[in-house]
Amino acid sequence: MTDIRTPRSQGAETDAAASFGDKEAGLIGTSGGDTAGPSATGPAQGWPRWLWRQLTSMRTALVLLFLLALGSGPGSVLPQEGADPGAVQQYFASHPALAPWLNRLGLFNVFAAPWFAAIYLLLFASLVGCVVPRTFRLAGSARTPPPRAPRHLLRLPHSASYPSALPPDAAVGVAASLLGGRRFRLRRAQGGDSGHWVSAEKGYLREAGNLLFHLALLGVLVSIALGGLFGYKADKLLVEGQRFADTPAALDEIHPGRLVSGSDFAPFALTLNSFSASYYTSGQSRGEPSNFQANVTYTASPGAVPASYRIRINDPLSVDSTKVYLIGHGYAPVFQVTTAQGQVVYNEATPFIPANTGTLLSDGVVKVPEGSPSQLGFMGVFVPTAVSVGGSLESAFPAADNPVVSLIAYSCGSCMNSSVPQSVYQLDTTGMQKLTATPHVLFPGQSWSLPGGNGKITFVGIKQWASLAITYDPGQVPALVCGILALGGLLLSFLVRRRRVFVRAEPAAGGGSLVTVGGLARTDASGGFEDEFASLAAELAAADASAAPEPGETKREPNNQSEAGA
Amino acid sequence: MFRAKRRTVVTLTAVPVALLAGALVVTLTQGNLKASGVTYVNGDTNEIVYAQGHRALAPDFTGTSLTGTPISLASYHGKVVVLNFWGSWCNPCRGEAPTLAVLAEQYGPKGVSFLGDDVGDTPANALAFTRSVGITYPSVNDASYSVVQQFGRVAPLNDTPTTVVIDRTGHIAGLVIGAISYQAMTTILRDAVTT
Repeated sequence: MTDIRTPRSQGAETDAAASFGDKEAGLIGTSGGDTAGPSATGPAQGWPRWLWRQLTSMRTALVLLFLLALGSGPGSVLPQEGADPGAVQQYFASHPALAPWLNRLGLFNVFAAPWFAAIYLLLFASLVGCVVPRTFRLAGSARTPPPRAPRHLLRLPHSASYPSALPPDAAVGVAASLLGGRRFRLRRAQGGDSGHWVSAEKGYLREAGNLLFHLALLGVLVSIALGGLFGYKADKLLVEGQRFADTPAALDEIHPGRLVSGSDFAPFALTLNSFSASYYTSGQSRGEPSNFQANVTYTASPGAVPASYRIRINDPLSVDSTKVYLIGHGYAPVFQVTTAQGQVVYNEATPFIPANTGTLLSDGVVKVPEGSPSQLGFMGVFVPTAVSVGGSLESAFPAADNPVVSLIAYSCGSCMNSSVPQSVYQLDTTGMQKLTATPHVLFPGQSWSLPGGNGKITFVGIKQWASLAITYDPGQVPALVCGILALGGLLLSFLVRRRRVFVRAEPAAGGGSLVTVGGLARTDASGGFEDEFASLAAELAAADASAAPEPGETKREPNNQSEAGA
Repeated sequence: MFRAKRRTVVTLTAVPVALLAGALVVTLTQGNLKASGVTYVNGDTNEIVYAQGHRALAPDFTGTSLTGTPISLASYHGKVVVLNFWGSWCNPCRGEAPTLAVLAEQYGPKGVSFLGDDVGDTPANALAFTRSVGITYPSVNDASYSVVQQFGRVAPLNDTPTTVVIDRTGHIAGLVIGAISYQAMTTILRDAVTT
């Protein structure tokens, strides 16, 4: 909470530096060293104000930021409900004493826990409360004229003096026009002011940079809120040859922002033409994927010209500022079920979900509610490269080199007529009977005649499926732009120095005048102001000499008495 | 004077702070996909009825039926249309289908056409279902949800099943989100048939 201030050693400096320190908000400080506590104002309005100042202080913001990082810790160490509910249950089973306590603290769902929300809401309030008033102050400070020239310029950190042949007013005028030419902002003595002087200030760009930084910081916060309110994330599983239109009903899972409505979804449609995955066939990484790609055709809006794209990992399709990522893949064996009368009651590529990501051994179900005379259900295992290990089927490789499905058939009279929504990936076998005691193995093209006159099931062939993530974050680009602007503003405010030069002229005893020049730089970290001031003082003296009426006047070196040089 | 200034600064701060914090609080709870321009919502069931003058024009889609014949909404102009979005994989759709079959028989003679839009499905599975449940009206083969996408621009069509009633002028008179009930459908249909 400490402002960067120029040293206040002497009275004159206090005047000259006044608005450097107080009116202007530094990058690091906030509303001054407010350690006085609430008693400063009346007790009624004192406490809220004091609390507000504490909240919006940079120290509090940093503590909150640290707490946020600390709070996220358990989220990455402990299993989380949102990401992996199964792992949470497992944790409960293996740590029966500890888990309930962790659960009470919300550590299994950190990002939805009230204490976590409290941290980031306070951080948000703290940042906004700190940045907004500062922005106003900076805007004001960027517009203020330089202060009046102090009375004793020689007491300033940098000072010089030279005699002038000109009367005081004219001498100051010459100095003013030179400083004005150097793009200093000037302030001349007005009617009410005593003496002849000019104040000049340069480096307002520092304030502009500072202002830009703060505004851009607000912009980043707004962008994040924008993304949260209007963005959405969704998943869609698509089998080769299938097409889907980007609309809420078509998506498997949607996480919309609060203000997203159905018509906010980008009106594209996408067909998965083919999916290909290749795997290393030898060496240590045998069986690990070497490449995935989904070849898609898409139309940006209904009736638009179709375009093609190859979506790969980390190479999403970008359509209408929505991004489509490839996040998963698997096999969808095609099954056909016909009744004893030859009526087709099921024909579909049925997505199976990988149970083992290394070998793509996958589980799936086939539900045939129109089976006749019984409703039929099948629990299946798909084995891409089947090998027999001690009499049981195992997958040796993720590619479909020797594909096999193993099915267990169930039947019932009318158990599938519930109108309660159910996962298409799960078969509820309550009320169903196994048709055969052992699983039946099918190779592509093979059929299995089901007992009980239930017709037959054919394993027609194999397709692949790709799982796509569709994301829209309207805050992404604004956040990036604001981030760059904030960085630019920060650099500007670090690189540009704000510095003041005062020139005062007093009438000299023998005609003409004595001119004193004083200089003051704020945060002269790089130390360049001393040289700048010395050359400026020399130029002022030279300009004064050349403006003087008497020819032959010898040029005088300014009597430089820079504090640093002494 | 400095104090007064500070007070205005604090006030000026409070507004955006409140706005942004509010926005964040709202973000905390995940959003629903909400309907807009609704003139009447029955809270008990999930039906929405739009008053005359507040009805959006139904998108004029074309497609092919499950058996391969062309279908276009334009060919139904001048009739009241009940458009049911369904899939044979969807249990609530299977549950409401017998009621739809009954309604189609009752309202057919009164000039109401029934049309299905079969989403996320295969024709074989869909036809096996319509055969067994006794639905005789055609369904658009809309495995890709294209028709849903077009309707989603003008009506809250966020889930399957949804049933939309289109009036004689081709405007959306109302809809039922989720499985229909006989009661809800007759309410909307009575209104649509008489106007």
